[in-house]
Amino acid sequence: MTTPLQQVLEALEQARGPVSVAQISRALEIEPSALQGMIDFWVRKGRLRVSGDPGCSSGCAVCAPDGTPQSCPALLVIPRRFEVVHPRE
Amino acid sequence: MSDLVARPLVDYGPAAEQHITQLAELIRAHPGLAGRTAPRWLAIKLLEGDEHIQARVAALAGTEGLLDAAHNAGAEIASTCGEDPDVWIAGQRYAAINDLVRDVIVRDSAPRITLSDRVDRIATHPLWGLPLFALVMWLVFEITANLSGFYIDWIDGLFSGPLARWAGALLGWVGLGGTWAASLVTDGVLAGVGGVLVFVPVLMFMYFFLGVLEDSGYMARAAFMADRFIHVIGLHGKSFIPMLLGFGCNVPGIYATRTLEHEQDRLLTALLVPFMSCGARLPVYMLLGAAFFGPRAGLLVFALYFTGVIIAIALGFVLRRTLFREKSEAPFIIELPPYRLPSLKNVWRHTVDHTRAFVEGAWTVVLAVTVLVWFLLAIPVGVEARFADVDADHSALAALGGAIAPAFAPAGFGDWGPSSALVTGFVAKEIVVSTLSTIYVGGADSALPEPQPLLTDLGEIITGFAAATWDTLRGLLSLLPGVNLFGSESAEAHDAALLAALRGVFTPLSAVAFCMFVLLTSPCVVTVNTLRREFGTRWMAFSVIMNLVVAWGTSTLVYQAGSLLGRG
Repeated sequence: MTTPLQQVLEALEQARGPVSVAQISRALEIEPSALQGMIDFWVRKGRLRVSGDPGCSSGCAVCAPDGTPQSCPALLVIPRRFEVVHPRE
Repeated sequence: MSDLVARPLVDYGPAAEQHITQLAELIRAHPGLAGRTAPRWLAIKLLEGDEHIQARVAALAGTEGLLDAAHNAGAEIASTCGEDPDVWIAGQRYAAINDLVRDVIVRDSAPRITLSDRVDRIATHPLWGLPLFALVMWLVFEITANLSGFYIDWIDGLFSGPLARWAGALLGWVGLGGTWAASLVTDGVLAGVGGVLVFVPVLMFMYFFLGVLEDSGYMARAAFMADRFIHVIGLHGKSFIPMLLGFGCNVPGIYATRTLEHEQDRLLTALLVPFMSCGARLPVYMLLGAAFFGPRAGLLVFALYFTGVIIAIALGFVLRRTLFREKSEAPFIIELPPYRLPSLKNVWRHTVDHTRAFVEGAWTVVLAVTVLVWFLLAIPVGVEARFADVDADHSALAALGGAIAPAFAPAGFGDWGPSSALVTGFVAKEIVVSTLSTIYVGGADSALPEPQPLLTDLGEIITGFAAATWDTLRGLLSLLPGVNLFGSESAEAHDAALLAALRGVFTPLSAVAFCMFVLLTSPCVVTVNTLRREFGTRWMAFSVIMNLVVAWGTSTLVYQAGSLLGRG
């Protein structure tokens, strides 16, 4: 029998595009807080990769000569996303 | 209760339970472990491969047999259950949690639908989520364009009034009044840098409203929807992040491509980022929008931002099927924060942080190029005239701009002025505005205004600010349907002389074509240099040429098609 932990990974692998945490939570009938724990587990196991805010916390309206991700803040805070890592990667 | 304590809450299945029991026996038999910790808990930790626990156990004498047994048991569980032991154990644990939650939580009805869920049903809908986002952004640009005009007027008055008077007094005091240095200050610095700084309110309003959307949680939804859309058309979903960052500044957008694992995805995305309309381009749109479209300038700005996105997506679609065929996309899950009321403190910080960089740029890069432009305008070419006393049409800048102007004639802006502005604008796009301002306003009246008492100037600044604030509040209320607090009066924002001059150089159609060119060419030398550092000279050159070709082609197409339709 498939455990909820495996169901989360399977749901993600079978998704045809991005899905939100809330969508997965509703589809699998898993509490959002428990789902977050499962996602964190798969991140620790290396089966999900976290990405999102690339390090800019605020943004530069003009292209300053010292424009770097650290000194050149982003326009928006990007939500975190968890991408499936295939075993071959 | 006692039954719960005695019986383990989680049953890890026959195969795993057998090994847990055997390991627990070994733990109980070890003198250093017996009585010090719960044997079942330690057995599970060893099976999970908890490195910290393994190290502590290994530090005790005589535990080699236990660790070997745990290792072998883990291998057997993996073989029997088809999962690593830690995955198997965690899976069983979550299954038990799920069962427990189902048993003990009694729900009145179906799972509770929160307000965020309800809003998301509309805001992230696959069909109308993106059109709704477009509508929201259009409103942001409309409100920005309509409300910022009063403060633009105030800052413009600040530069042409008190600041010009103070500069005049200072120059007269050091004995430079009436010299070319005075002309440099009025025609160069005040006209050029002032011409850019008057747009600070536009950026502040835009960043304020974007901050409201950001802090409310809506922008995360926009990122989610765009991510989904971009994935569908064949680009890597993650490409959206650098492109989104590009709206603030293209430089961090290009750096953000480092989050893409595959080189082809990274390069393709970096080539598309310069098509995102950065904040530095906004003053150009606002200036020409004010000159030719008045209260509809917001629609022009929205259309230009939208065009940049559409062209980037179309190019991405083509490049993905030609130069960058390797496709690597994995499904992903995105974390959306719940909706909340925006915090004024957060929104204000967002607004100030983003606007500060624009102001800093105006006093560094823009100032330097403006001085250069002034010198080129001051050098006579082909006529007998003194330095700084020559008609702009016979200046070195006119000669340089005139040499490349024919190339822009098919796009409708083949005059030396716009051509020169596009050349200097390669350094940074807000310099297009400072150059146009220096060319068309700088030479109009180089006489510094007569000084007046400091208190009178300060009073003028304060009353001007108060009037702008009052008008903005009236403007805000007038945005409501059926409310008009201005009657038939209409204030024309920006420098009237510059707007009049621009109306003599552009037509509405050529102004749109010019904005298209500004939108689609490489944004600035820093972005170009970033491309070189990240991808090498070859791809940097490819990007610059591609942007130039697309910009020229699109602006020419717009102008020629518009002319054919009788809009020229």
